[in-house]
Amino acid sequence: MNRRTFLKTGLAAASLLTAPPLLRRALAADPVTFYGLKSMSGAYASYGEFAEKGSKLAVDDYGLLLGEKPRYVTIDTEGNPGRTVRKVQEAVQQQNARFFGGCTLSSTALAVGKEINKVGGVFMTPAGADEITASECNKATFRWTVPTYGAIQETVRPLFASNPKAKRWYSITPQYVFGEALLTAAKNLFAELGIEHVGNSYHSTQEQEYSGYLTNAAAANPDVLLILGFGGNGASCLRQAANFGMKSKMTILLAWTQGLDWFQSLGPDLLEGVYLGAQYWHQVDAPVNNALVKRTREVYGINPNYPLAGDYIITKIIFDAAAKAGTADGAAVIKAMEGMRYEGPTGPEMIRAQDHQVIKDYYLLRGKAKAAMKDRDDLATVVSSGKSFPEGDQILCKMS
Amino acid sequence: MDANGQARAARHAPGGSGQGRDLFASLRSGPFGGPTPAVAVLLVLMPFALPSSTMATEILIFATATLACNLLLGYGGLLSFGQAIFFGSGAYLSSLTMMRLGAGLLPALLVAVVAGAVSAALVGALSVRRTGIYFVMMTLAFNQTAYFIAYTLSDWTGGDNGLLDVPRPPLALFGVTLADLSSATAYYVFTAVIFLLIFIAVRRVIASPFGSTLIAVRENEARALALGYDTRNFKIAAFAVSGAMTSLSGALYAMLLNFAPLENIQLSMSENIVIMTVIGGTGSLLGSLLGAGAWVIVSDMLAEIWPRWLILTGGALILIVLFLRGGLWGGVESLMRRFGGGVPYAADGASDAAGPPAQPVE
Amino acid sequence: MLYLFQVLNGLGLGMIYFLISAGLTIIFGLLNFVNFAHGAFFMLGGYLCWSLTELTGNFWISLLTGPPLVAFLAWAAEVTLIRRIYRLPHTFHILVTVGIALILQETTIMIWGPIGKSIPVPDGLQGVVKLWNFTYPTYRLFLIAFTSLIGFALWYLLERTRFGGLVRAGSESAEMVALLGTNIHRLFARTFALGVGLAGLAGTLSAPIRGIHPFMGPEVLGIAFVVVVIGGMGSFTGALLGGLLVGLVQSLMSTLWPEGASLMIYGTMAAVILLRPYGLFGRA
Repeated sequence: MNRRTFLKTGLAAASLLTAPPLLRRALAADPVTFYGLKSMSGAYASYGEFAEKGSKLAVDDYGLLLGEKPRYVTIDTEGNPGRTVRKVQEAVQQQNARFFGGCTLSSTALAVGKEINKVGGVFMTPAGADEITASECNKATFRWTVPTYGAIQETVRPLFASNPKAKRWYSITPQYVFGEALLTAAKNLFAELGIEHVGNSYHSTQEQEYSGYLTNAAAANPDVLLILGFGGNGASCLRQAANFGMKSKMTILLAWTQGLDWFQSLGPDLLEGVYLGAQYWHQVDAPVNNALVKRTREVYGINPNYPLAGDYIITKIIFDAAAKAGTADGAAVIKAMEGMRYEGPTGPEMIRAQDHQVIKDYYLLRGKAKAAMKDRDDLATVVSSGKSFPEGDQILCKMS
Repeated sequence: MDANGQARAARHAPGGSGQGRDLFASLRSGPFGGPTPAVAVLLVLMPFALPSSTMATEILIFATATLACNLLLGYGGLLSFGQAIFFGSGAYLSSLTMMRLGAGLLPALLVAVVAGAVSAALVGALSVRRTGIYFVMMTLAFNQTAYFIAYTLSDWTGGDNGLLDVPRPPLALFGVTLADLSSATAYYVFTAVIFLLIFIAVRRVIASPFGSTLIAVRENEARALALGYDTRNFKIAAFAVSGAMTSLSGALYAMLLNFAPLENIQLSMSENIVIMTVIGGTGSLLGSLLGAGAWVIVSDMLAEIWPRWLILTGGALILIVLFLRGGLWGGVESLMRRFGGGVPYAADGASDAAGPPAQPVE
Repeated sequence: MLYLFQVLNGLGLGMIYFLISAGLTIIFGLLNFVNFAHGAFFMLGGYLCWSLTELTGNFWISLLTGPPLVAFLAWAAEVTLIRRIYRLPHTFHILVTVGIALILQETTIMIWGPIGKSIPVPDGLQGVVKLWNFTYPTYRLFLIAFTSLIGFALWYLLERTRFGGLVRAGSESAEMVALLGTNIHRLFARTFALGVGLAGLAGTLSAPIRGIHPFMGPEVLGIAFVVVVIGGMGSFTGALLGGLLVGLVQSLMSTLWPEGASLMIYGTMAAVILLRPYGLFGRA
């Protein structure tokens, strides 16, 4: 009896006294089982729901893997890093789990990656922290997300190129490791492009009220307002910037957004004319993406968004690598993943062996006017796309 | 304090000697009597009864934190919404002691205990000057302050990413390695031993003049003051003991996970510790183990079944307040009264099932 | 000039905080009851505003109907549940209201989904007003005016009507009011509904500025507690001044020392309790 059945049936703990641990462990041997770390409950439930749909779709649509249908187990992260690490430890010890994917929270992804690395498993994540494929990289951990460097390069550079007169930029940054990384990348690029950085305001990630920072920004009279917060931070900041009439006075760029689901929560009135950086966009014409859009509409009746597409491809890559390796051995699967080239939701993608970073497109989108929208989700158009990644000395990963 | 005052204070303790318990009962409730053997048996059975020893370890760690909260709430009548300050700083400081100074397991735990006691004494000294809801708000404000400090000092705490690569060194004394704790089972045994020691120690504290005075302060502060007790210092001391225990549990948690997330020091952690305490039953030490166990196991089970499981948790909190004010342990007690006649281990200094002692309200 | 504008902005912000906290402090004042579900009712107000605006296409109709709905729900909760626990220690107030908050939050996710939503600023208030070099949203100006009006109405209700007299007398001594022949249960239920209804009203009014999402309750609760503790629990004037003080601190800090803005809010709160044990206007 494995842990999941125990919990599912909810039998009294006493009845398990009769099942010695050895027996439980013996029964837990399985074929390729993928463990999806999904924030189903807790404060990141909006992410987990779609991520779960993505992984499920990948598993259901997969044929035979090493002669058997692959299995899927959801682990609810509850938005709680401590809980997640403990559940991963449990899965590793009790069920010999080796293949993991997901994680919304960067802290959880970093800690979980290290746990999985200890037992020679494989973990792939769409989490945001650059450390995952830089200072804290390890053999087990792979990342699908473009790092902050690429997000800035692929948004600030094309926006500035299209409007070289917009020389004065003001930034609003959430003060933590991730926000700092975006700001540093932006400052470096400003220096290179000759953009004048007229000011920056830091705020805490728990901030709800941006009027004070926006007042600072307005006082600096910039051409472009660069908002580096994402999720709830970015949404509140953009909403209040629009309230303050800043959309008509300057160009607004949010370098890092969650994509479609986040756009839906804001609506076209707020997004119109705003520039938005995104990891994924469902309208991109690529073979895997077209198929994914078709299947997601069939199965769930929605268009895929970033959490869905991210966890779909993560799940599929690990299965493909196991098939390529011809074994469910962690080390062999890692080897198969390193350097792997494949068709992904953003077109051709590649896993860089050196730091386990997926090399893929990042998009600069522009919010559409309500009148120009062809359907409910046609909220933005792709302005430009491209691949920018730290190269050479800039790759900070020392794979141990 | 004079002996007379102690005796009088003890008489006010519910379930204490004032209720005419005989010599036999007081023997039975000594530090090694009463519920202690039962707890020891439970500790042996837990890893077998639960899905994993890792889960059992988590339960014991939270049970330690719950015990500490119970000491304040159940015995001192002090509702602290700042327990995460000590839990989180214990995790950070013990980890940093090992990571930056290369210290071993026991020195790191010692640092956590001392730091917990000192910081709790500080928070206590500032907070106990207020009573009732202002006291609660004071601890809450300190918790938020501590959170933002941890968040800002990201060079030390890792900020939002948490502190990674926390080691779990072997148990060593004077350079001699006694046990390797890297396996889940070994670490469980280590945690269980610590929990048992703390359990016995807390029973000692409660049975001591300090404990009975604390209860007397809870019951009637004005009277205790009139009897010549410095009630303020008693409360601060209770805070220090509680903080040391909570900090220790935080340190053990970091070593369990090899990771100290920022969530350790968040207000929601304080909230969870309080909830576990009340679910288990305030004023009863066994209740703390029960409360932590129920919280961890039930939330794990529910999370597997239904993503919206927090609704059920919310409903359970309401039902407990309406029908089971003595917490789970109170429920067990009243069941035993009904079917078995006697109530075991009542000498815990526990309140009866009808409800925990009232806190001073304004 | 920037500072002057931040002061003005802080006062505007303070009025919003006042509205958020007023209900909490009224309930505490009369009932000596700590409502940890205050933020959840705020959120509910926002969601009802969204649904009613979608349904009727008119923000003003939702402003008129949403908050009373929240108040009605609170009344029902008081009659069936809350009144049973007034006599218990604060610990149990907190547990029950945390339970209610969890149920509201998760029910909101089930009904409206986990993703947040936006409510457009109502027609006619979408523009900005120019003040020297700065612009200020018309809707926020409206909010300041409207909140002042609500504040005045509340003051009138509490200070100049029979209901208010009973509430004030009840917060001194509930037994006395009961002895004088007033139905104390009805008074308590109405006060609870009024306080929670104010949370719903605040949620409705802030929705166009802040948007809505299911997890906004705890954030709002945090601010409301700070304001009420600074002002003095149960004090209506305290909530107003506490709200303005927090608004000013936050707005000025975002220019002076943005990194520490959140820290300063809680620092102010701790300092006030240390210096004035029961807040600026609280009574022991």
